[in-house]
This record gives sequence, C-alpha cells and structure tokens, in this order.
Amino acid sequence: MISGSGIFFDGTSSARQEVTVELAPADLVLRSREGQLLAQWPYAELNQAHSPDQVLRLGRGGESLARLEIRDPVFAAAIDEKATAVDRTGAVQRRMNMKVAALVILAVGSIGAMILFALPTLATRLTPLLPYGVERKLGEAVDAQLRASLGSDIAGMPLECGEAVGERPGRAALSVLIARLEAEAAWPMPLRAGVMRRQEPNAIALPGGQIYVFEGLIAKAHTPDELAGVIAHEIGHVVRRDGVKALLETAGLSFLFGMLFGDFVGGGAIVIAARSVLQSSYSRETEAAADAYGVALMNKVGGKAEALGALLSRIDALHGVGPAILRDHPQTAQRVAAIRSLAKPGAGRPLLDDAQWASLKKICAGR
Amino acid sequence: MNLREAVASATAYPAPALAKVRFLGQDAPYWRLLIRGALLLICTLGIYRFWLTTDIRRFLWGNTEIAGDHLEYTGTALELLVGFLIAIAILLPINILFFLAALDLGLIGNLSGVIAFTLLALLGQFAIYRARRYRLSRTVYRGVRFYQTGSAWAYALYAVMWWVVIALTVGLAYPWAQMNLERFKMRRTYYGDLPGYFEGSALALFLRGLPLWLLVIGPLLGGIAAAAHAIDWPALAEAVNEGGSGLGARVEATNPGFGRAIIFFFGAAVWSALAAAVFYPAFQAMMLRWWSAGLRFGEVTVTSRLRTGQIYRAYFRFLLYGILFAIGFSFVAFAAVGAVNTLTGKFSSAEAEELLTISAAVVGYMIIALGYSTIYQATVKLALWRRGMEAAEISGIAALDRVKAAGRPTSALGEGLADALHVGGI
Repeated sequence: MISGSGIFFDGTSSARQEVTVELAPADLVLRSREGQLLAQWPYAELNQAHSPDQVLRLGRGGESLARLEIRDPVFAAAIDEKATAVDRTGAVQRRMNMKVAALVILAVGSIGAMILFALPTLATRLTPLLPYGVERKLGEAVDAQLRASLGSDIAGMPLECGEAVGERPGRAALSVLIARLEAEAAWPMPLRAGVMRRQEPNAIALPGGQIYVFEGLIAKAHTPDELAGVIAHEIGHVVRRDGVKALLETAGLSFLFGMLFGDFVGGGAIVIAARSVLQSSYSRETEAAADAYGVALMNKVGGKAEALGALLSRIDALHGVGPAILRDHPQTAQRVAAIRSLAKPGAGRPLLDDAQWASLKKICAGR
Repeated sequence: MNLREAVASATAYPAPALAKVRFLGQDAPYWRLLIRGALLLICTLGIYRFWLTTDIRRFLWGNTEIAGDHLEYTGTALELLVGFLIAIAILLPINILFFLAALDLGLIGNLSGVIAFTLLALLGQFAIYRARRYRLSRTVYRGVRFYQTGSAWAYALYAVMWWVVIALTVGLAYPWAQMNLERFKMRRTYYGDLPGYFEGSALALFLRGLPLWLLVIGPLLGGIAAAAHAIDWPALAEAVNEGGSGLGARVEATNPGFGRAIIFFFGAAVWSALAAAVFYPAFQAMMLRWWSAGLRFGEVTVTSRLRTGQIYRAYFRFLLYGILFAIGFSFVAFAAVGAVNTLTGKFSSAEAEELLTISAAVVGYMIIALGYSTIYQATVKLALWRRGMEAAEISGIAALDRVKAAGRPTSALGEGLADALHVGGI
C-alpha cells in the first residue's frame, strides 16, 4: 500500500498533527506517528479546500473544518490518482463557470430590459393612478426645491416677476392669456403661471399645474401667440402628467443604478451620466406629444399655432450648440416641421392686444 | 486551481519558520487575477464583483503563513450575492419611504433628510460590524475558525457617537475613538476558544499623531480663526444685506482686511490639502503599526516592525503605474476616436453619432475608474497587507497549539449592506 506523510488538523482543536497517510482501496487512512488510527476519509467524500500553490489541502466536505495538508508533490499526485471524486481535470469547475457566466448574461439582459422597458412602462401605468391631490403635493415639493436652488434674490429683486407696481399690468396680461388657454384645456385643477427672472429662453411645467416662463423667453418672443404656443406646450406636459412620470422614472433609475454598480468604480458619476442620457431619450417622444397637444390647444382657442415653430427656430439659431441627445428637445427642424403640419391658420387676431403685449414684455422691468 | 495544477506547481516546500508571519503571494498572479476581474466587471455591469472579492480574499488569506501554517478563506461568491440580494430587499422599502417622506411638506418632510442621514450612518456602521463578523467566521487557521459575537446595533450606536465626538474635537479625539472601537470589536472576537482583546494605547497614538495633526489640520483651523478675526462681521452682513450691484466694492470699503483674510484662508486650506496628501501614507503606516501591535489573543501578543518608507514606496509605485496607464490609455483612446470617426461617416443620423460618442465616453470612464482601482489594489492595498503581515512578530505562539474549535459560520447580510451602502472593506 502507498503511504506518505501529511499534516492533519482534526477540526475540533488547532493541534497540528504529523500523520502517516495510507491509500487504502476505498479511503484515506490517517494514523498518528505512533500508529494510532485518527481518521478514515472515503475518496468519494474528499473535497479540495483552497490553498496556496505549493500545498494540497483536503477536506471531508460539508461544514467540517478538518484538514489534511500534503506538501510532497509525488504523494499528492498519488492521491490524485485514487480520489476520483476530486475534480481532477477541472471539468466540474469549468461547467460551473459556464453556468455562472450564462446566468450573469441573463441577469445583465434582464436589468437592461428593466431600464429600457419595464421602468418607463411602470411609470406610465402608475401615473394615471396617482390622485391629483398627491400630484399637487409633489409639485409643491418640486417647486420648493426649485426655488431653493435658484435663490430668492436676483440682483436685489425677487425671483418671480410681476410683484412691483410697474410689473402688475404685465401680470394681468399673462392671466388673460392663461385664462384663454385654460378654458380649452381639460385639466381638473386651476393652472398657475408665473414668470421667473432667469435669462435662459425656456419654460418649465411642474407636476400639479404650475408653469414658469423665464424672462429670457419673453424677451425672445415677438408676438403674443409665440409665447402662448410655448405655454400651450407646457400645458401639454401638465395634462399628460409628464412631470410625475419623469419623477417616478428618476427615482427608480437612481435606485437601480446605485444598487447595480455597487462601489466597484467608487462614484456616482456614471449614475449621473447614464441617467441624463436615458432621461433625455425618454423625453424625446414626450416633447413631440406635448408639441402636438400645444398645437391642438392653440387651434382650439383660435391662436396662430405655427408661431411656436417660429420661436423655436429663433432660439435654436442663437443656442444651437451641444450634443442634441443631451438636450431635452428633439431636433428643432423636425419639431418645427411637425408643428407646421398640424397647425391651422389662426383667427387672424393675436391672443393679446398691443397694449397687453407691451405690458407683458415689461413684466420683469423691476419698477 | 485543480489538483493536477497543484501537483504540477508544487515545489520543494520550505521548512516552516515558527513565530514568523510570511506572505508568499507573488505580484504577477495577483495582477492577472485583478485584470481578468476588471474585464469581467465591465462585461457583467459589476455583477462579477462578488466573485472577484472572493478570489482576492482567497489569494490574500491563502498566501498568509503564520508560524508555518496558512490561513484559509472559506467564504463563497454565492454567499456574498445572497447577502447583497437580502440587503436590497431591506433597503428598497426604506428608500421608497424616504422618497415619499421627502415629498411631504410638513415637519416630517423637513426632517426626512436628517433622519435618513442618521439612519444610513447607523446602518453603515451596522454593516461594517456584521461584515467583519462574516469575514472572521470564514477565516480558518489550523482547522479552527475565528468568530465574532456582540450586537451590531450596539456597535453602530457606539461608533456613530464616537464619530460625532471626533467631529466636535476636529479630529483630536480620533485615537480614543479608535482605541475604544477596536476594544469593542476585539473583546467580542475569538479564535476558537481563545478570546481576543486590544491593548493599543490611545495616548501613545495621540502623541505620535499630534505632529501630523498640527501639520494638516492646524493650518486650516488657523486660517479659519484668522479670517474670522480679521472680518468685521456686522459690517459685512450690512454690506451684503444692502443688496444691489457693487457688492465687492462695498465689502472692501467697510472691511479693509476682507480680501487679505480670504486669501490667507485659502492659502491655509491649500496647504492643508497638500499636507494631507503628502502625509497620508505616513498616517496609514502609523495606524497599521499601532493597530497590529495592539492585537491580543489569549497569551498571543503581536509587535510590528512596519517601516513608514515601505508604505511610501507602495504609493510611489501606484503613481508610477498610474502615469504609465494614463499614457497607454491616451494612445488607445486616440486610436479609438480615429476608428470611430471613420465609422461615423457611415451613419446618416446625427443622433446615432451622438449616441456613439456618449457611449464611448461612458466606456472610457469605466475603463479609467477600473484601471486606477486595479492599480491601487495591486500596489497600495497589496503592500498594506503584505508589509503589515510581514512586519508582525508573534510571541506566545504556544497558545495556538491547543485551541478548541468554536463558533459557527454566519450570514453575509452585513457584506451585502456594506456593498449597497458603499462602506466596503477588503
């Protein structure tokens, strides 16, 4: 019978025992130097524990921590010959690795599908179920955050225009415009509109029906119908409840990405990058739908629906820089063409008279 | 490694050196393991991290030889994955609750940020303690496992309390915090029936660390104090509240020293940041030496001969490889951009082109982040382990020969929480 020496730890104490190992027909027989029988391990139950390259470390499977260490390469090879249950060629390990790889690919695929399809669908399905009262509350929370981030004091003047004596006629004109649009918009709660002292030519709609037009947009608008077109577009976002949908999607995305990437790259930069790309890809279709709604609304109130396209082209000519995929609005030429195709000729009279328009242009005059 | 490879690579095994700690791992296989892991991380969107972590630990543990016998890491990647999934199941409802609470405008809404911060701080410390418990219970030496008892919530409260004290004392209480937290952990740590404890002295650490504190934190505090003293606060508040344009001129008029005070403050801040970067390796070496020299298991005591220069050498290697990686990456990136430019000629739509640009940027960012984390692992992290282990000298080794096995393997929930909360360890 072949035999050799090894080091044996019995798993119940840390005693290091030098043993003689005999290769019996069915099992390894471990005897102390004095010849006392210490253990008998059937070959079928042997498993290989992790060890540095120079050591063969055997366990008996299960939770037992009993270990036999062989440091003589020739004798280790002899055990290898006998112990058929040990994964000699590594085939079991390879099959296991393949299984893991397949599962991981499946997991990556399903996470991708979740981000691309499940999350938007979920947000779209959940949004109509949200009561309007909750949406209004959400809108108020977003409003508070927005005001906090923009600051309450713009060069000594309040963030919102229309407070000073000279600005009040402009505010009245804006209310007239909103009232005309609101009469035709199917929205169960009062719409609220304000003007913010910001130089970007932009407008935003918050959940719950709050719309903000920026000072820079009013400066760029040449006619009341151009401004009305933008407001009608924003009413489109409100009525379609796009703000709530985006909020739900952002919450889901940030959670998914944060969890998924763990701390292996140690930063949220990728989360933010991925989120901004994905978010704008959501909003592409949303913007087109809001355009369509805005044009239909302008058609109903008898305004010049095409004016929105004119304003968009003008702004784009001034600000047409940066990759389009990062901008929230689909490429302007496509949008303008779509607006033209839907617009009916207006009643001929602008939505505000000249005096009202002049005072609205001065809504941020500050005096 | 399978049996055949084990046999093939077996060489005449050197006689065990008693009472010595040695690290037998070679650099080359560790680099191979890390680079293969980084590639798989990219392909699997990070899911491979459980397998990589397990491989890293098997390498570090398995190559550590104490008094002639090797440590064994018995944890598996599957356990880590399950722990992570359980952690997500716990964190998901918490996240949703805080999201909803933040929308409420009332008192709860305003407080939700504070509550969330406190809860996450507690949960992070809880995770650190439980992750340590998992790692210990998967560490086997001579067929006997390590384990840890004690309440993780008690530790979390204790740790958060000490971190508040550290913040209030601008870091001066750090040695006492470390000593008490380490005592808490070590008194609940066992190797079989051999109880651990910690004998590091906070005062000794304080005295050794004081020069570093004076060099790094001192100037910053001085800058803040001097600036606060030089500025006439009521006049400044008045100048700011007046509103309108010309704020800078008004401030300078009422506060003649304002500009100089700000410049002095920023100078102090820059000095502190630079000093922190330069002395960080020295700080790490000091902490590692102090910590390992304080470890006790029954009659087994440890001393450490770790030299600060060894840690600096590791950081220099990190810088060197980092620069080489940056050069190599820029070459590859240039070539890739060239290839992309020729490719994009075939796309008619500008959007497809932009999508390609963005995805290239994302992939580039991932490669850079993973590249540096791999280099850091293979230089600094490995050196800290290797040098820390090799510098340790153990006495009372005879006690290790008659330890009775005790303790059970515990769940990897803590590891999962630590992963999800980004408070990971090794």
